[in-house]
Amino acid sequence: MVNSKFLKFPFVVFCALFLALACKEKTEKSSLPKLGTAAFDFNCFDLKGRTWKLDEVRGKFLLLRFWNDGCPSCRFEMPVIEKYYRKLKNEGFIVLAVNVKQSAAVAEAFTAQLDITFPVLLDSDGKMTQRYGVYAVPTNFLIDRQGIIREIFIGEVFKEENFLRDLLKHYFQR
Amino acid sequence: MFFFRALNLLVPKTSQRKKFISSILSAFITTLILLSSPGSGSNGRPDDETIRHKGQRLSIKWDPLTRAPLIIRGIESNLLEIKNFSKLSRKEITHTGPLLVNKYQSLLKIEPSQLKLKGAEKISDTWYVSYWQTFQGVIFYESSLGFSIDSHGRIKSLGALIYPNVQAPVTSKISREKALKIGQGQIKDFKKLKCRLVAESILIYPVRKTNSVDYYRVYAFNFFPEEALHPATTEGGWAVFVDSQNGKVVLFEILMKPLGCCVPEDWVPPKPEEMKPKW
Repeated sequence: MVNSKFLKFPFVVFCALFLALACKEKTEKSSLPKLGTAAFDFNCFDLKGRTWKLDEVRGKFLLLRFWNDGCPSCRFEMPVIEKYYRKLKNEGFIVLAVNVKQSAAVAEAFTAQLDITFPVLLDSDGKMTQRYGVYAVPTNFLIDRQGIIREIFIGEVFKEENFLRDLLKHYFQR
Repeated sequence: MFFFRALNLLVPKTSQRKKFISSILSAFITTLILLSSPGSGSNGRPDDETIRHKGQRLSIKWDPLTRAPLIIRGIESNLLEIKNFSKLSRKEITHTGPLLVNKYQSLLKIEPSQLKLKGAEKISDTWYVSYWQTFQGVIFYESSLGFSIDSHGRIKSLGALIYPNVQAPVTSKISREKALKIGQGQIKDFKKLKCRLVAESILIYPVRKTNSVDYYRVYAFNFFPEEALHPATTEGGWAVFVDSQNGKVVLFEILMKPLGCCVPEDWVPPKPEEMKPKW
């Protein structure tokens, strides 16, 4: 009798642990950003030393772009994005370009070469990149005024400027 | 007796006051020094300044570590104006970088021959041209010098991450095969994951320290597993930099999944449906 009670206890503990781990696993799997869900908050410095959080850009249409100096697509898409940023920034369009794990000097030189005026954030430890499940650059998230992810684009999509023009037209005419 | 006791009491009081005054003074002097040189670099020169160079006013942002320009902008004038720009061929346009370096060599402190073309693209009416910096023909990792040229041939500014006055080895002391073996050894389960060497090169790898930069001549290897890793992981492969002088690993970095960068053009990334989950 004592023995069976004694045996029951580790079994219950094992079941509890199993359930906890299963839940954790499920949370981790479902914690990547998805279309139609709320974007994750972040806390990142830009090249000028200003801290950016998702709450600060709520109410604006946000293009959150993860990039790296090493990829040609990242480079040659930027002028197209800059063009539409300048056109639409007064209408509530904002671009936050997150540099993935490179130094401020690399990002600074890159920004100057392409005459970029939108904020360039530094994710030097890669935490924000990981949080957003970014596995390749460039990756772009289009986040609406309520903070909901509307589009996710992986790879080169904006070099043909008509695509970005039509995309923004679609969302800004709503 | 009373006098001596009073003196004994006085001594510590005086010394405490002195300490107090000296600490206030030192704090005051430190504050003054800090305030007098806002954002100044290691040699006392500010990181951002406006200078006159051969009669031209320029705004310069200096790299605080190397004291090379990160950004040069012309004030009320362009850095360079290329005549008959619309008639130039792509090849001729890519020669603009050496011209620019030649004009501002005393500021950039590198030779025009040290540039190697990274890319040149025309987007709308503007050309975007960028270069690597080289040392004895070897590319500096993450180096760049680039600018845009408008339809009238005007270059208003340049951005650069360059390294002047470099002391780096010009030859390798260990073989590529030995370095490769060392590189492969850094990856856990190299054989099990069927890792492929997808890209390799010899690079100058500048390591930025607090007050100086160390330059390593490295064998750089990019490895990717033949079978994709877990689909949910952001880890795609690994970069290993092996010091060509002594075989030490100076960089081990996780690479993202291949998507048009860091791998040769003939590399075909696995399709999402081919990435079977491992659980």
